[in-house]
Amino acid sequence: SRTKRARKPRPCDLRKLVLKVSELGLGYESDEEMVLKYCSGRCTAHRQNYDLTMRHMVQTAFHNQRRDKVSSGPCCRPTAFEEALTFLDNRSRYHIIQNVSAKNCGCV
Amino acid sequence: MILINIISLLLLLGACVSESETGPPGWREPPDCVRASELCNQNSQCSSRYRIMRQCLSGGDKERSAMLASRECQGALEVLQESPLYDCRCKRGMKKELQCLQNFWSIHMGLTEGEEFYETSPYEPIHFSEEFRHASIISDSSLSKLSPCSEAGKPCNPCLDAAKACNLNETCKRLRFAYNSICSKATPPQSSVANQEPCSRKRCQKALRQFFERVSWELSYPLLFCSCPDQACAERRRRTIVPSCSHQERHRPSCLELRHTCRSDALCRSRLADFHTNCQVTPHTATSCPHDNYHGCLMSYVGLIGSDVTPNYSDNSPSNISISLWCSCRGGGQQEAQCEAFHRDFTHNTCLKNAILSFGYGAEGGGASVTELPSTFLGPAQPPVISKPAPSLHAIKPMDSACVFSTCANLQDGGQKCVSSEEFECEESLLARESMGSQDLAGPRSGGGGGKSPPGLQLCVGVLVLPALRRLSLL
Repeated sequence: SRTKRARKPRPCDLRKLVLKVSELGLGYESDEEMVLKYCSGRCTAHRQNYDLTMRHMVQTAFHNQRRDKVSSGPCCRPTAFEEALTFLDNRSRYHIIQNVSAKNCGCV
Repeated sequence: MILINIISLLLLLGACVSESETGPPGWREPPDCVRASELCNQNSQCSSRYRIMRQCLSGGDKERSAMLASRECQGALEVLQESPLYDCRCKRGMKKELQCLQNFWSIHMGLTEGEEFYETSPYEPIHFSEEFRHASIISDSSLSKLSPCSEAGKPCNPCLDAAKACNLNETCKRLRFAYNSICSKATPPQSSVANQEPCSRKRCQKALRQFFERVSWELSYPLLFCSCPDQACAERRRRTIVPSCSHQERHRPSCLELRHTCRSDALCRSRLADFHTNCQVTPHTATSCPHDNYHGCLMSYVGLIGSDVTPNYSDNSPSNISISLWCSCRGGGQQEAQCEAFHRDFTHNTCLKNAILSFGYGAEGGGASVTELPSTFLGPAQPPVISKPAPSLHAIKPMDSACVFSTCANLQDGGQKCVSSEEFECEESLLARESMGSQDLAGPRSGGGGGKSPPGLQLCVGVLVLPALRRLSLL
């Protein structure tokens, strides 16, 4: 049953990761560790007619006439961010980072 | 099965709660001063004298002593000494704490006329609790097992571990952010110049008080009393309370002036009296602390943070701990001795130093405590103090660990879920990932980071379980 569950795609939800502030890629040098919450998972269940049409358009009409890029389905994205995080960098200065950690996720 | 587990957990916690709640046998709790003043107001004689007493104390410093000497005020004081107001106390962090403290001083200020060097603490005595033994669980087992200090070759920074433990706890993270953002001229990445506003000292100190009142000490004390192998770590420790805003000022007042400011505020005055009660160096105990109670001293020290007499580490020396207030005694004239004596209770306090060292070092505390002559101001010459950490700090019984469980179940569940990575439905997010050149977020680190239970999050939350126990007994 374990392998079956592993294969089944999970729906869009909030996930957590513990990592150092310097690993966020924002240019801060701090070994302080934090929880990064992010959104991941499938949004298949949230497809609208719009998405089905767009997928079709990419394959037919857009493909021939335009080079427009459209997403062919709703994206699993943060719908709200956690309040800002403060930390001390490795030179003992305080910083604030905003909108880095997701609070809620949605298929939008 | 789950129910049985829950019940057995509650029973274990019940044992933990009852152990820490019971005071010494035969000791009756004095009423709190809010309740005491209510009781007094029910009695017509008491309430009229209480009203008189408040008038006696309402004037300024000079008027007050003249007023207090009057027959009317003395008479009122005499009656009130027989009332429940006389021996009432307040609880730390209680509802209406400020009102309670004001009630306490409304009679005790009249008793001492505010002239005493050390005043009675309005707070209940801190019991020789089982609680502090749990501190050694944090510092001895959880942290040191998981901290990089135990691994050879990796940098060791217990203060960093304490920050991590705080970041992993929602309440701690939120309140740490709250005081940091108010106290520091923290720079948001983009609008660093535009948004810079000078810190508001009062708001900063209030946010600090809230942090230390609402965050459990298992998470807040390690930030403040972590042990440090190097200067970088000690500098982090020194900056915990954002001293540039909360501790330092442009002007360095005289220490007596500072004390006077503090005494005119009921909260600050109470915290100061509590510090003197619990951290006063005594030659009668092995640790130099009253009743060898390290926890009592640390608690009353923390109580001062966010008050007018906010103490802090005076430098970033890792091993030689030196605490001070932002004040000086130079040019104090006649009162210089009194001024020095006041400040020395912070700068040369063996009890406080031993308590801090013992907290930070846990089991190794034995090698780290200070031996120092206590302040000579306090009367007769005292013999050098043989310092050793309280035995209770290091004796961990199996019972103690039974009280420990994680309050962070959500986080751990979430963490485990992070391990598997999923395909994205969105093309754009796939593109974005490529362009950033970053690794899959749920990639290599998640196994180690997300799944493991974070250190320092194991708490004894006995208090929270009490209502649950009550509900259980109702069934």
